[in-house]
Order: sequence, then structure tokens, then C-alpha cells
Amino acid sequence: MVTASKPSSSALTSLVVGSRYMPVYLALIVLWVVSAVWAPGALASGTLAAVAPYAALLGITALGQMLVIMTGGIDLSIPGTLTLAALVMVGVGNQADERISQAILTAVAVAAVIGLVNGILIGGLRLNALIVTLAVGQLVIGVASRYGRSFPVQRPVPTGWSSWTMTRVFGVSPVFWAGVALTVLFIATFRYTTLGRRFQVAGANPTAAQVVGVRVRLHQVSAYMVASILYALAGVALAGLLRTPGIGVGAEYLLGPIAAVVIGGAALTGGLASPLSTFAAALFLTGLNRTMLVMGLPTSLQTVVFGLVIIGGMLVSGDRIIKAVERTLRERRRPEGTRRQKNDNSDDGPG
Amino acid sequence: MRRIKIIALIAVVAMVVAACSGDSGDTTTTVGGETTTTADGGETTTTEDMGETTTTAAGEDNPLAEFGEDPTAADLALVEKALGPVDPSDEASWNIVLASVARANQNLDDATIAKALECWAAQECDTGSGGALVMGYADGGGNDVNVWRSVSHMEAVLQALTYPEIGTIVSTAANFDQDTNVPINDIRFLINRGVDFIVGYPDTGTNLSGVIMDAAAAGIPYFPFSAGWVGLPDQDGALIPGEDYPTVVGEDLCALGESFAEVLNVGVGSGKVALLGGSANNALSLGWQRCTIDSLGADIELVNPPPDDDTTTGDTYWFAPLIPGVFQGLLAADPDIRGWAYEYADGMYIGLPEFDEPIQNVTMALRTDEQNLFCDWADRNEPTYNIWYSAGGNFQSRVAVTAAMLHNKGADIPGEIVVPHVMRQVDADDCDPNRPNAEASGTSLVPDEVMTQMFGG
Repeated sequence: MVTASKPSSSALTSLVVGSRYMPVYLALIVLWVVSAVWAPGALASGTLAAVAPYAALLGITALGQMLVIMTGGIDLSIPGTLTLAALVMVGVGNQADERISQAILTAVAVAAVIGLVNGILIGGLRLNALIVTLAVGQLVIGVASRYGRSFPVQRPVPTGWSSWTMTRVFGVSPVFWAGVALTVLFIATFRYTTLGRRFQVAGANPTAAQVVGVRVRLHQVSAYMVASILYALAGVALAGLLRTPGIGVGAEYLLGPIAAVVIGGAALTGGLASPLSTFAAALFLTGLNRTMLVMGLPTSLQTVVFGLVIIGGMLVSGDRIIKAVERTLRERRRPEGTRRQKNDNSDDGPG
Repeated sequence: MRRIKIIALIAVVAMVVAACSGDSGDTTTTVGGETTTTADGGETTTTEDMGETTTTAAGEDNPLAEFGEDPTAADLALVEKALGPVDPSDEASWNIVLASVARANQNLDDATIAKALECWAAQECDTGSGGALVMGYADGGGNDVNVWRSVSHMEAVLQALTYPEIGTIVSTAANFDQDTNVPINDIRFLINRGVDFIVGYPDTGTNLSGVIMDAAAAGIPYFPFSAGWVGLPDQDGALIPGEDYPTVVGEDLCALGESFAEVLNVGVGSGKVALLGGSANNALSLGWQRCTIDSLGADIELVNPPPDDDTTTGDTYWFAPLIPGVFQGLLAADPDIRGWAYEYADGMYIGLPEFDEPIQNVTMALRTDEQNLFCDWADRNEPTYNIWYSAGGNFQSRVAVTAAMLHNKGADIPGEIVVPHVMRQVDADDCDPNRPNAEASGTSLVPDEVMTQMFGG
């Protein structure tokens, strides 16, 4: 018997959904406090301005990964796609400012094709996302390596492009504002458009979505394409910041975006995710890295701490705790007879 | 008894003679026509005529003649181009360095350039000499990821092409792969390929100890350059040059570190300085950092001291995507860092955007001499921003090839072939805007016509 004192169904849902995104904000606060006490330099305006574009790059790639994870998939082709886009910025850009837009468009178009291939193989042919994207990523790395030989190693991007990425708009690189703008765009799309809501439904429950007429496969293919375009945008921006990107430029973006999405509270099973908390998680991970550098931790210890934080973030942000809370609350609401019957049947299974 | 006395007397006389002949204390170096260099006790005079430096060797014995080398033939202009106005290192090392430079003085025809480019780009190439020897080249970086590595590879190829005994060159590149198995497997591949010796740079240090010992067991000696110690002798798992592998080519790392400290002590006077390095705990960075730290003045504060004597600090991995973060971390903690020591000028250039503009009151002590940093410095025209550098060191791969060939022919080579260094202050002449590649070292001995084709796109 459900009493009036117990939370209503909608309140419970809000609590569960809201609480899954809270840990990343708490982590940001903790990081802020730790930095203020042990590494105050990390919070200096100059430092934040320097770190911001790199945090945004992780955020942009994490938004792409978030889209894919919302469909129940995963994308391990980020390093390859990002690297190829950075090299296209060098190759097509050819050190000529007038070729910047052409280079960006080419990088985006190439990335869209990569995403389309991923999407068709995974959404269309139902192949395993992990294996497919890993394989496609390797293929793209090979192409990037080959393409990188067509022009001198360490050739810089067009000067105008690198200058633009390093200028300051309101004290911060425009790359950061681009990341913020993309995040706002995603929030608005998910919250206020039919397209966004359909996308969330298709990820959360593909079968039900199919029944009500949502084209689930199309959404999956689109997710991989949009994600790849985001990786490309991050790649061209990173090329500008580094000026002379090489074929290893994307290597750092394999684990980071996944960690940001998970710490940001997304469900690896698909559906639920928050662009804002994903971007916040990217800020947290980048800030954590810089704080450890400011604190002067040895490289070996930095990697250990980074790994532990990601694991910890997964533990508190993932489905495990939220589902457990949800189960407990439901168990309490359920009539005694039903609960016994449920227990007699079987366990709930993972997640 | 009388016979014993005679033998003892002869031995004493021999030792005195050896000591005198081995003491090249009067060896000096040519700097702009100021002094002269003697390689083996003979006289080498240098004259400058119409801007061209020429070398003549008078009355010298060639100590390496029986092994097909001639250090006396070294063009001192090339020596100075590669190393700057250095004092010679110990005689055995210096002779090998000079012998290497002598071979670097190549008059390359189109066919040789084409062959060099072929061998530089391909994993395996036939040099066309018909020689029986197979040279292996194992790089932790590679042509496609870094200009310095690319140029060093070409130096080794060009040097190998001067030896008709070398008929095949097999090259591998790990492209800075973070998976340490990649460079290990590269060397294992060279072992299986049956190369006769391996020249390379051991980016992952003691991780390669096992496979280098496997190579040694297979009769394939390993010749690292650019101070590529396979671990410093007191590091865990380190190999000992002269025992486990024939030699290591490079600067006296401690002397290099002391030179960096001297630059910072004078340039900064009193204030904060930071040290940067490459891969975590790599022998090159560890070697100079230890001695820099020990030699910093009392008024100098090191902002990033390592936790212990066996750990490097300021690890950038020489990898562009990681470099900005390291600068950000250091400058966030101490925005007023006034001195920097780093072995990689291009890495310093990558980190420049993290500085507050304009860059002022900064002194840099660097090892290499990539042109992009120097041209950026020239553009700034800031009198309180000064850079000192040693040499790019690309040509050390040539020394490694020559050392390998000497070893192959039975010559005794020292366990450490010391390449001398000297610190030079960057001036406007150090920026060559017409360099075929802005990231290339000004001190490389790869001819411009080759470099143009390497980086011509």
C-alpha cells in the first residue's frame, strides 16, 4: 500500500535522474577546494584561461561520445578521427589563411563519412560497437599516417588559424566558448525539440521507441555521424592550439571522453545523459590534471591518481548506486506480497 | 733476473710513451680562426679564407687508418657547424667524432640523394653497394612524428651510404607509442631480420634492456646515440655501455647539466627556474637534470624539484599534445619563473603560448636548436629574453654508425663516445628563415638539398 508520505512516482524519477548528475558538480567543488588549499596557482585567472581551451576540447569530444553512449554504443575511433582532422587542417590548409575554411569543411566532411561508416556497421548491420569503432579507428589512424606523409612532418597549420585559437575573447580562447556554445545547443536540443526527445527515447528504450514510430536505426547512425563531426571540430581546434600537430595528436582522447561521459552521469546502457554535466566532467578531468601538475606530483603518481579518480567517478556516478537507490525505494513502496513473489522469481540482473 | 729488469724497464718506458702520446692536453679547438685542433698529437691548422674554413692535416698519423677511417680528414667547418666552438673530448672519442665528420663531408650526386631518400622513407632498402652488412635503425620516434627524429634518421642513412660494406638498411619507428611493447617489438623484428648491428635511440630506456641483451646474445650489438643510455648505470635495470652494449654516443650529460646551470645562474642571477625533460625517468633528462640541480646557485630556486635523485622532473615526453599542460602547471604554480632548462628547443616553442605576453626577463638553457624558436625569438626583439643552446645533435647518429663500423672491424671503441658541447647564445643569425623546415636544427649536417626533398611535400 502506497501512503501519501512516500515520494510520488514523478518525484522519485526526478530524484533518481537528478542525483545521477550530482557527483560531478560535487567533484568540481572538491577540486576547487583542494586547489585553493594546496595549489592556489591552479585557480589563478591566467591559469584558468590557459586550461580552458583544452578542457573545452575534451568537452566537445565528450559530447560526441555522449551521443553515442546514449544510443547504447561506444566510440573508440575518436583518436583516429581527431588526428585525421588535425592533419587535414595542416594538409588542406597548406599554410595559407585563405584555405582555412576549406580545410575545416574538408575535415568535417571526412569525419562525417567516418561516422557514417561506424553508424551503418553498428546501427544498420548490428555489429558490436566496441569492435567496429576500434577497427575503424585503426583504419583511420593508418589513413592519417599515410596522409601525414604527403606533406612535411610538423608542418604548421595556417597562421591565421593558430592565431585565432590563441586569441582571447572575454579573457579566454574562443575554443572554450565554442565548447560552451555546443553544450548549450545540445541542452536546448534535448530539452526543447522533438528531435532531441526522440533521440533520448530511442536510446533509453529502442523497442518502445520503435513501436511508437521512432526510427531508431536512423538515430543511431546519426549519433555516430554527429559525434565524428564533433571529434573533427576538436581536432582542427587542437591543431590550431598546437600549431604543428602530428599523427599522435589524438592519442590522449581515447579514455578521457569516455571518462567524462561516465563521470557526467550518463547511463552506459543508453538513454540518460546530460550535456551540461558531461561538459562539467570534462572541466573536472582537465582541472584535475592541471592541479596535479601544479602540485608537482611525479608523473607516475599523476597517472595513478587520475586512474583512481576515474574509477571512483564511475562508482558514484554510474548506474550502480542510482539503481540500488531506486530499487530500494521501489521495494519499500511495493506491497509485501508482491515483494515476496518478486524475490521468489529471480534477481534483477545487472544494472 | 737481468731479463726481468730489462722487461720492466721496457714496460716503464712504454708506459711513459703511452702516457705522453695519450695526453692531448694541448688539443684546442678552432673558433673563428682563433685556435687549432689536434686529433692525435699531430698538428692541424685552420685557416679562414674568404669565409671558407679549410683544414689541413700536417704530418699526422691516422690512428684509425687500419679500420678505414680518417679523423684527420675532418672538415673543421663542419665540426663547428655541428658542435659549435667546442673543446675536444677525450682522444678516443674525439677521433671517432672526427672520423664521422670526415665522412659527413659528402659531395652528393643526384643518384646518392635519391638512394638516401629511398632508404630514409622505406622500411628496408638495398644501398646498391653490394655490401654484406645489414644495418638496423630502431627509433622510438620516427620520420612521421618528429622533425628531429626524421633528420637524425637521414644523418644515419647518409653515413651508412659512405660504407660500401653496408648493403642493406632496415629501419623501424615506434612513433612515440605509449605501449612500450612497440619499440621492443621493433628491435625484436630487427633481430629476426638478421641485421648485423642496430643504431637507435632508446626512448623507453631500461624497458629495452631485455631485448637489447637478446640482440647481444644473437651477436647484434646496439649503438645508441644522443646520450641514449639504456638507463644510467645506477638506475634499476640499466645496461652498462662497454659491457652489455658496445658504446653510447652523446654529450657528457653531467657537464651538459652543469652548463645549463651556469647559464641559469648567470642569466637569472636570483629567482625561480624550472627544469623540463622528456619521457619520465629517461636517462638523457635524468643525467643532465641531476647535475643542473647540484650546480644551481644559492640564489636560484628550483620550482619543480624531483622527489628523489632517480626521478626526472617536468616530464613532457617530448610529445606535443602533452607539452602545453606541463607549462600551464608550472606557470600556474609560479608565474614568475625566470629561467628554463630543457633539452628540446621545439618543445619550448610549443610551450611559449602558455607564457604571459610579452615574454620578458626570461633565460632559457637548451640543448637543441630548432629554428622556429629562434626565429620567434628574433621577431620579438626583446633584450631581456635570452636563449642559450648547445647543438641539435642530429649528427650523433652518424657517429653511432661509424662506431658500429669500427666495432665491426675489430677496433677498440670507448664505452662512452663523448661528443663535446658548448653553450652559445642565440642571436639573429641563428634564425634562418630559408631553412627547408622551420623545425629542423641549424646544426644538422644533412645538406639543404637533401632536406628540401625530405620536407618538400
